[in-house]
Amino acid sequence: MKELREQIEDVIEQEPVAVFMKGTPQMIMCGNSHRALSALHAAGAPVTTVDVLPDPRIRQELSAVSGWPTIPQVFVKGELIGGADITEELLESGALQQKLDQALGTDRAREVKVVALDLERVA
Amino acid sequence: MEAERIRVLLEREFPDAAELSVEDRTGTGDHFQVTVSSAAFDGVPLIEQHRRVNDVLVEHLRDGSIHELRIKTKGTT
Repeated sequence: MKELREQIEDVIEQEPVAVFMKGTPQMIMCGNSHRALSALHAAGAPVTTVDVLPDPRIRQELSAVSGWPTIPQVFVKGELIGGADITEELLESGALQQKLDQALGTDRAREVKVVALDLERVA
Repeated sequence: MEAERIRVLLEREFPDAAELSVEDRTGTGDHFQVTVSSAAFDGVPLIEQHRRVNDVLVEHLRDGSIHELRIKTKGTT
């Protein structure tokens, strides 16, 4: 069973757009998480979300990996874009669409996926 | 926490800021809007600008005294 940090790194590296958020797209639990998801939706991004609320260690391990202390955190092809503020600013300037086009192509899928980390036997 | 305390911390980090404002967005002392415009950000990627602001407030972000922080940064060019 993979350690928590490894699971987090896998999501960051393997998902086209990874969003670590409070809650899920169906049940968003914080304003900034909602802002980030809305901006990504408006830019036509596929989204894979991870809820950080089930275990405080998720947020600790994530921040150790990314060096970013707050939630949400948005990654495109493994690269940290930032939180809600930056994602929104990039949407407004058109840079978000550009980055998605470059990273994922213009005919990209737009599915929304929720990934649950395996917390059972995490030490 | 008080907006004023955040302002003092940011002023120490960005003494030459052309613009520096801290707003308690909800009046509950834990949802803040911070705006910093400084030559220190000229030519610095947006994410690094925000990272520097986060670094100043990281303890208060971690302990939850700041629940939500919105950041707006600008260079001066």
